[in-house]
Amino acid sequence: MNRDPAKVRNIGISAHIDAGKTTLTERILFYTQRIHAIHDVKGKDGVGATMDFMELEKERGITITSAATYCEWKGYEINIIDTPGHVDFTIEVERALRVLDGGVLVLCSVGGVQSQSITVDRQMSRYKVPCIAFINKCDRSGANPFRVIEQLREKLNHNAIAMQIPIGLESDFQGVVDLISMKAMYFDGPSGEQIRLEEIPQGLRAEAEARRESLIDAASMFSDELMEAALDEKVTADVLIDAIRNGTLARGLTPVFIGSAYKNKGVQPLLDAVTHYLPQPMDIENFALDMENEEAEKKLETDFSKPLVALAFKLEEGRYGQLTYIRVYQGTLSKGDTIVNSRTGKKVRIGRVVHMHADQMEEIGSIPAGYIGALFGVDCASGDTFTSPEIRYSMTSMYIPEPVISLAIVPMDNKAQVKMSKALSRFTKEDPTFRAYVNHETGDTIISGMGELHLEIYVERMRREYSADVTTGMPQVAYRETITRQAEFNYTHKKQTGGAGQFGRVAGYMEPVKDEFVFENRIVGGAIPTEFISSCEKGFKKSMEKGQLLGFPVTGVKIVINDGQSHPVDSSDMAFRAASRLAFLEGYRKARPVILEPIMKVAVETPTEFQGAVMGSLNQRRGMILGTQDEGNISVIEAEVPLAEMFGYSTILRSGTQGKAQFTMEFSTYRQAPKNVTDELIKKAAEGKKR
Amino acid sequence: MSENNLILKNPLKFIKEDAGHLLADGQFGAILARAGEGKTSFLMHLALDNLLRGKNVLHICLGQPIKKVCLWYEEVLHRISDQYELNNTNVMWEMILPHRFIMTFNIEDFSVKRLEERLNDLTEQGIFFPQIVLLDGLPFDKTEQASLSKLKALAKEHGFPAWFTLMTHRENNIEQPDDIPSPISHISDLFEVIVRLRPAGREINVQLIKGQKVDKVP
Repeated sequence: MNRDPAKVRNIGISAHIDAGKTTLTERILFYTQRIHAIHDVKGKDGVGATMDFMELEKERGITITSAATYCEWKGYEINIIDTPGHVDFTIEVERALRVLDGGVLVLCSVGGVQSQSITVDRQMSRYKVPCIAFINKCDRSGANPFRVIEQLREKLNHNAIAMQIPIGLESDFQGVVDLISMKAMYFDGPSGEQIRLEEIPQGLRAEAEARRESLIDAASMFSDELMEAALDEKVTADVLIDAIRNGTLARGLTPVFIGSAYKNKGVQPLLDAVTHYLPQPMDIENFALDMENEEAEKKLETDFSKPLVALAFKLEEGRYGQLTYIRVYQGTLSKGDTIVNSRTGKKVRIGRVVHMHADQMEEIGSIPAGYIGALFGVDCASGDTFTSPEIRYSMTSMYIPEPVISLAIVPMDNKAQVKMSKALSRFTKEDPTFRAYVNHETGDTIISGMGELHLEIYVERMRREYSADVTTGMPQVAYRETITRQAEFNYTHKKQTGGAGQFGRVAGYMEPVKDEFVFENRIVGGAIPTEFISSCEKGFKKSMEKGQLLGFPVTGVKIVINDGQSHPVDSSDMAFRAASRLAFLEGYRKARPVILEPIMKVAVETPTEFQGAVMGSLNQRRGMILGTQDEGNISVIEAEVPLAEMFGYSTILRSGTQGKAQFTMEFSTYRQAPKNVTDELIKKAAEGKKR
Repeated sequence: MSENNLILKNPLKFIKEDAGHLLADGQFGAILARAGEGKTSFLMHLALDNLLRGKNVLHICLGQPIKKVCLWYEEVLHRISDQYELNNTNVMWEMILPHRFIMTFNIEDFSVKRLEERLNDLTEQGIFFPQIVLLDGLPFDKTEQASLSKLKALAKEHGFPAWFTLMTHRENNIEQPDDIPSPISHISDLFEVIVRLRPAGREINVQLIKGQKVDKVP
């Protein structure tokens, strides 16, 4: 195994749904000889693309989990994480970006920068991932790569610069002109594996020269050497490549490549670009927190001999037990080593160490710093840090959004119950945005996640992979309650009828606040003894778990206590907790509580002729249309729509636009539900209670 | 500070006491300035003033994505909120949002016919009825008088006034006989009000080139 981190590239491939990233990955694996035949995503051979290894993914043509794989290209080892494009699965994208050093942003030459590309780009910025772009599908009707480059500049603020120009477009797409070597590249052979270099066609020479000038201008901002060479008109390929690399690493330049993965064109130059322009592990600064030194930030070094620091970024339950995908940042992780999980403090002995290639694996002895691999039989959660026993570092935690939708699932029989529990335990470990719990009032098992599709996929996986026969209830929206005005409370909790008594009085007021919960103690003169103040806070906090209006969690309340009373014998922690809970109820009733509903930010992309119909469909769903973006034949409609109204929207959208429109949505905010919605919820709750 | 007090701070106040009625339905106003001298900010103030009065504002922007236009609004409201120490910006934002509609177009794809189609989509389904239109980024050098006349007819038909931004260049400073810079002089009869912004140190002077000026300056 190659042990030079300078020749390692850990990359992610991110894109909008259907931009073709799985097809691109498939071609990369073919050209790097990891696979020996090409299977398309929705191919007629029924085999499906190699990276989409779950049966469900093959069926739906989408990638759900980020399968990790590696390949070798011209002496470089490339670790690829194929990331899902749907916004419901962004936790996968986020986790992939956390451990990767560089990204390839795949864009469709017809669709351009679409809503999901914007989300993915925002995620890349959050983790400061340098990236290159690949404009795919140049063989499609309506392909216009330069418009996409313009969009990269305008919409995503990338300093995007063309590295190639196309030779022909749409059905006439033949190859590309490389602006570094100034040669025309054609991709011959049945799978485009033979690259033929020719002189630039006469008709494209002037354009190629002009674009090369722009490329040199942009790159010279990152290299004095190139600037001097440009002035002397002696620009060499190496100087230009180095300058572009500097610009890309600084995230000041985004080199753009073009091609058509499906037609086997332009993939090999992209692989060259990955090795030339994307960072090696040593180029990226990674930090960990030293848990034994007040969480001081420690810079990690890509050095095999230093103590180990590694991050478990993904878990999967495989045939041979739990598979943990791990990225080593410092030191070497070898078979037989004893390492420590810094979260739990537990020591773990490493059994098998493997390299993953979709669902096939290859046994290896160790994973050195900068590399990605997988371990078997290690009990941990996603996001855990592993270190050598002599240090206790923790990698900064990953951003995890709160779930917005939930669903009750009911097993058909006892057998299904056991299988369902197994499946849930695995899924919740694998995906922190997917949660499961039992509602103690109804006894139902509730699953919650980031969207309807997110939950649908897990229920489907439960049925297929675990044969758990389950039925699902209607999706439930995660409503909240809050107060709208200030209200006072003054409650005395008194139980002094023989035996040990209870006494506590709590007085003050509550008012609306932006934060979830604020507690302020303004007691003077010891009206409530100091030791019971935290009991009061706990009592109030406990009351926030379930609002009085409809039993939803309460948010946005500030509690101020300014008076109270205690008893030398009968006052206790329990008495003040109880007094605070009841004081909360007293104030809450007067503070005009309301229901808040989750509002989703929805972006629909549709052919312009359906714009009116789509706007109408959003309007009918209590959507507030923020605006429309007309881009020639395609329009993007941005709206804020209550989550409760979005159930089944994909079917409605498909039927209303002949299947030509698509939408993405993500949580935006909580907003007060209108009166009719609140009334309906109260009515339903009352009916439920009667039953 | 309440929204009423904010309305009183509108920079157009000095031109006419009730800036909200500076233009009647079907009338056009133009804001002229060189690049980076405050056309968009001025337009934002105009928009916010109308939104706070509960009027429906259709903001049309050419060559910019919706996200950017939304950011401008957030930025201007944020600055106003800092300057006047407002603590109810969130409530104000929720209040004005339903009255705002943003439409963006590629410059080359924009036409009056297309706008009319979009407007009909909105009004026929009862989604949005604009009461004032702001049009940012229209290339006047490439816009013919005939299409602006059509736009004026559309404004009359739908019953809204419209404000336009217009970028002037250094050479446009040469005084024209009627003091109206050349990019707009050939179509100035279509505009009832023309305002020019000029930087003076840290301030921007607002000069009324065409239109009615009030005697009383608040």
